[in-house]
Amino acid sequence: MTPAVTKRTETNPSTGGHDGRGADYASLLRAAQGGNQAAMERLLMKAQEIAYRFSLLVCGHADDADDAMQEALLKTYRHAAQIKEPAAFRTWLYRTVKNACLISRRKRVDEPARLHSLDEAAMAPDGSVQRIDVEDPGRRPDQVMENSRLRQSLHRALQTLPPESRLIVFLREVEGLSTREVATVVGISEANVKTRLHRARLSLRRHLEAP
Amino acid sequence: MKKTASDRCRSLLEQLSKYIDDELTPAQRRSLSAHLRRCPCCQTMAESLQHTVEACRKAGSARLPADVRTRARARIAMLLAADAGQRART
Repeated sequence: MTPAVTKRTETNPSTGGHDGRGADYASLLRAAQGGNQAAMERLLMKAQEIAYRFSLLVCGHADDADDAMQEALLKTYRHAAQIKEPAAFRTWLYRTVKNACLISRRKRVDEPARLHSLDEAAMAPDGSVQRIDVEDPGRRPDQVMENSRLRQSLHRALQTLPPESRLIVFLREVEGLSTREVATVVGISEANVKTRLHRARLSLRRHLEAP
Repeated sequence: MKKTASDRCRSLLEQLSKYIDDELTPAQRRSLSAHLRRCPCCQTMAESLQHTVEACRKAGSARLPADVRTRARARIAMLLAADAGQRART
């Protein structure tokens, strides 16, 4: 039997990440620097989206998300024009978001840490689910429910990881940064990223497989 | 077919992430693929690890909740309007 394992490739580290997302950021930045307002708006939205996901998945504090998004927005807007190497913009953005989230967290050090899931964030005060906004139009309800269960399990599993491993999984797996970009953002070697990522994957797998 | 992990399985476990990330040499890849075809235990592990990676990727495709997106757009509009106003004054 052929193993049902699909390959995941590392793309050009100079553009960064897989799926061409690093190149997207670089071209958006170039357009924004050239005075294209729509490009600037998309860039500012991307910065806030990253800050939101980071707040929820890495920091585990939905309450901090607005502060982190505001900080990421302002820093991106103020510094976008000064960035000389568009290819390096993506790692700059993730470092900025990481710092913005940590600053938001320090302001709330008295609050207990907890990992929220995107599904929990979508829960209304009366317990009804009102804001599941996942990009899966046309999916059957059972598939949506299955995805929702999977995400909740994943968030619980992420919570069990040491903070730095959670950050590495977030950057590499969720956000799709290349190993080199993750190493730059976290400040460790590429070899260290790979080792920690492998251990984190095994740990996540154990938690996801647990009954 | 063997059903339990051997020393060979344990040594190959270290290569599974590289296999998923396509970082093995062609010879290593052929060797691991051949082992996975023979060893249900390792094949299950490889598939399970791949599912874990895919679950993480799906989390990255979730869009912002509608109200969070609305607030994000409003922040951008305010920032750009304030900046345009400041430039008009100078």
